[in-house]
Amino acid sequence: MAKTTYYVPIGPIHPALKEPIRVEAEVEGEKIVKVNVKRGFAHRGIEYMGMKRNAIQTLYLSERICGICSISHPYAFVIGSEKALGIEAPPRAQYIRTIIAELERIHSHILWLGVIAHEIGFDPLLFWTWKGREKVLDVLEAITGNRINYSMYMIGGVRRDLKESHIKALRDMITYYWEFTEHMKEVFLSDPVYKARTRGVAQLSKEMALKLNVVGPTARAAGLRMDIRQDIPYDAYADMDIKAVVPQDIVGEAGGDAYDITMVRLYEIEQSLDIIEFCLDNLPEGKILAIPNYVALLNKIKKTEGEAIGAHEAPRGEVIHYFKYDGKRDGPAVWKVIAPSYNNINSWAPLLLGAEVADIPVVVAYIDPCMCCNDRVAVVKDSSGRILDYSYLHKKAVEKTRKLEKELGVRK
Amino acid sequence: MTLTAEEILERLKEKLGDAILNYEIKEYKMGVKRPRTYQEIWMEVNKDAFRKAVEAIFEIDYPHLHFIAGEDVGEVIKMIYSFGVFHSHPWGEVSIVMKLDLPKSNLVLPTITDLMIGAETNEREIREMLGIEFEGLKNKRHLFLPDDWPEGKYPWRRDEYGVEDMIKHTHKSVKEIRKQRGEQNG
Repeated sequence: MAKTTYYVPIGPIHPALKEPIRVEAEVEGEKIVKVNVKRGFAHRGIEYMGMKRNAIQTLYLSERICGICSISHPYAFVIGSEKALGIEAPPRAQYIRTIIAELERIHSHILWLGVIAHEIGFDPLLFWTWKGREKVLDVLEAITGNRINYSMYMIGGVRRDLKESHIKALRDMITYYWEFTEHMKEVFLSDPVYKARTRGVAQLSKEMALKLNVVGPTARAAGLRMDIRQDIPYDAYADMDIKAVVPQDIVGEAGGDAYDITMVRLYEIEQSLDIIEFCLDNLPEGKILAIPNYVALLNKIKKTEGEAIGAHEAPRGEVIHYFKYDGKRDGPAVWKVIAPSYNNINSWAPLLLGAEVADIPVVVAYIDPCMCCNDRVAVVKDSSGRILDYSYLHKKAVEKTRKLEKELGVRK
Repeated sequence: MTLTAEEILERLKEKLGDAILNYEIKEYKMGVKRPRTYQEIWMEVNKDAFRKAVEAIFEIDYPHLHFIAGEDVGEVIKMIYSFGVFHSHPWGEVSIVMKLDLPKSNLVLPTITDLMIGAETNEREIREMLGIEFEGLKNKRHLFLPDDWPEGKYPWRRDEYGVEDMIKHTHKSVKEIRKQRGEQNG
């Protein structure tokens, strides 16, 4: 009998993805033999819009690039703008910015841990992690007024100061998360089924990671010590000795798989707690904005010529903004944005090749830890008329977990 | 072993000579309690020496490509490449920003995807947004623009190849406009 392959398109709308993207996989039995990734379904032309607005409007527009890491783009934006315009943010503002950025890393990493647990069929773990995540969202809401899209940063500082009550809430939160992370480490890293389900899945070597130009936890799980906070530090990070979290420092070697990326993310939560604690202990006094008058700021922008690169290490990898102010208008003349997923999606095709159908959700969630609320996916029929949709893929993934559980004797 | 910005620049000058048209080392102060400076190299190179310059950077250290951007400034398109060498070292990464002028009469550049596969995304984006042809780029499918995007329209161009007239007529379909102009492939 001749071998027949069938074709599984995932997306553009898919529950494991934040943004619409399409993965077309050709499957032979359980193995994927050909992959094609298509993107561009959500291109909103934000860079084009930004070049037509003034810099403060563009700053808030940049916050809307990503919903989950809504601090990353404004952070890169203010750093780049300050470098180009020669403005220096007051010390207190620099520390507050660092605290907010680390709070975001904590909530983003916990969110991802929930997503990966869901993808392999541990829904109670999803509910538990997301319940734990509420604490950091509450603190963010208390400080900035919003759970997401905080509108906190400004060129030359921040817009809101930290009050005594906020500092107390932050210290409470740190105590809570030291304990919570300890539990999470126990659950994720020592569970034999989780280990069996993620070890060797989505494995990326160090050389491949370099060549594919991947960034953030994806690169670090493969053993690359790459972290903007360590390589070219800024703000309060420059006062600390940040070390990139890599698996070889924790367990001796880097596997570059979904298990290692879980480990990197868990240890980075602890690192973030340390950073926030350092910032609170050393929080300088003083003002929070270099140029409080926005009209004066826009006038300065209109008179200054300059270009610079702003880089920030977002939870998912580095965010890079390139600016050019031409001294004729009050907004950027050129604005180029590189988000972490732009580079990280490069690794989908090589990772999916040769993987099993049941591992597709893991691979997809591994790179882009974001979720969309819709359960709509393209429906495909193979030659016998069987329908392969998201629930089928998810069922497959859960079945594999249950089978492993039985084999390992965890569940009877 | 990492090199400082000055040492990297010396090496690049040795390799490229006159092909570096001008250069600058930008210094930034970072940190509150322990302020330190870090440096970036900004240089402009001759268009013909582009490939040689990229190879020189790859010889110094396998870099991390930050971005490729371009700006339409009338007669030429200014290309901006940014590489980070010696990443993975505390305070060690040096950004090398390389700029070059491409005349609009000949918008062709050699690809760097043979040195770094990950650059494919950036090159495909620049190709469809600014209309620059990359010699040797294997995958030339559209990245962000739809497959049926009209040919010869580049969203980031500020000249007659830009999308200004498409934006003015958003209520009309591209098909209609082309039909009015009597163009083929409507």
